[in-house]
Amino acid sequence: MTLKLCVLTPNRIILDSEVKEIILSTNSGQIGVLPNHAPIATAVDIGLLRIRLNDQWLGVALMGGFARIGNDEIIILGNDGEISTDINPQEAQEALEIAEATLRKAKGKRQVIEANLALRRARTRVEAVNVIS
Amino acid sequence: MAMAALRREGKRFLLSPNPAIAVRSAVLSDELTAPLGTRSISTQVVRNRMKSVKNIQKITKAMKMVAASKLRAVQVRTENSRGLWQPFTALLGDTPSVDVKKNVIVTISSDKGLCGGINSTSVKVSKALYKLTAGPEKETQYVILGEKGKVQLIRDSKASIALTITEIQKNPLNYTQVSVLADDILKNVEFDALRIVYNKFHSVVSFIPTISTILSPEAVEKESEAGGKLGDLDLYEVEGGETKSEVLQNLAEFQFSCVLFNAVLENACSELGARMSAMDSSSRNAGDMLDRLTLTYNRTRQASITTELIEIISGASALTG
Repeated sequence: MTLKLCVLTPNRIILDSEVKEIILSTNSGQIGVLPNHAPIATAVDIGLLRIRLNDQWLGVALMGGFARIGNDEIIILGNDGEISTDINPQEAQEALEIAEATLRKAKGKRQVIEANLALRRARTRVEAVNVIS
Repeated sequence: MAMAALRREGKRFLLSPNPAIAVRSAVLSDELTAPLGTRSISTQVVRNRMKSVKNIQKITKAMKMVAASKLRAVQVRTENSRGLWQPFTALLGDTPSVDVKKNVIVTISSDKGLCGGINSTSVKVSKALYKLTAGPEKETQYVILGEKGKVQLIRDSKASIALTITEIQKNPLNYTQVSVLADDILKNVEFDALRIVYNKFHSVVSFIPTISTILSPEAVEKESEAGGKLGDLDLYEVEGGETKSEVLQNLAEFQFSCVLFNAVLENACSELGARMSAMDSSSRNAGDMLDRLTLTYNRTRQASITTELIEIISGASALTG
């Protein structure tokens, strides 16, 4: 029993394959989806999407979007996303440090919110690289 | 525009020589058969015309190649973005015939000209849609993207234009820019249904005017009570927000920005394809005109040589005979 997963962003299709299980992070917590899950339409938060294909876990850094789960088919529409194998760990770490520095320097509500978002994105990318496979 | 300039040049051609010749030449269009006893016009004039036509041909050929190379890049991105709006249609269904009070027509057109008839078709479809959705207690407004559409619609529908946005293609199109645009439109205009009018790119020679309909969350609620595809939405357990309507609102906004992104890319592709074919036919026409001018040039040259010979020979025979 497998799930058909499709991860799309405005610029390209990130992933289109059959998987065994996924763990999705929504803004009300993380949900795990196995075959024969109940139909769900949910908003996806900026975070890590973990995918299990044949006992191997893969990570995708997803920057918010929507997911629809039904009939063993999962469609995730994201604003942006990267597969963990495509992320350079060195560069992701540097981006995280830069984002933290920007947050410390940010003044004014808008800058703080933007810096927070950038920080979460950078942190997600670093987490993606560290997913145990 | 290039063809109009050539036509004007042709007219000047007829007016510059002797008026007597012009009257006769008017009947014979571009040919220059001078009546006997008068000098035909110099080859210099014809040569100037040929030079300008050749320059125009070079320019249109270059424009065609530029459009072709840009098209290749945009086409790839358009195809990638097509997969984006299909899940929305699968989830929410497509109801172009929905009857709502407030319609907003988003017309997508190009900023630059010389791209064939695509802008006129978009404007025609928008105007037809306006008439279709008009009625008692109903309100329809325009949001115009692109200079050409704005110029055409401002002439007779100035009162119903809510927002115009130009110069979207100054920086290469990307999703962030379009989502900011979508946000802008959503903030400033009230709507129950949004209808996006654009030219869908099927191939380099075919661009079909298309309308995409997006409903506001309240309209979605109303339609879901009516049943059909949207009725199945209730089967889904909706998570990820405080209330179902908040998630639906987010979903509708996301859907709008995805569909708008795809529409803008498709219209850009169609514009480039139309410009390619317009410039291609333009260079071919310039080539034809060049051929005709070459024939006229040769005839003029031979006529002047013959006139000189006649003068010389008759002068010589007058001296000897």
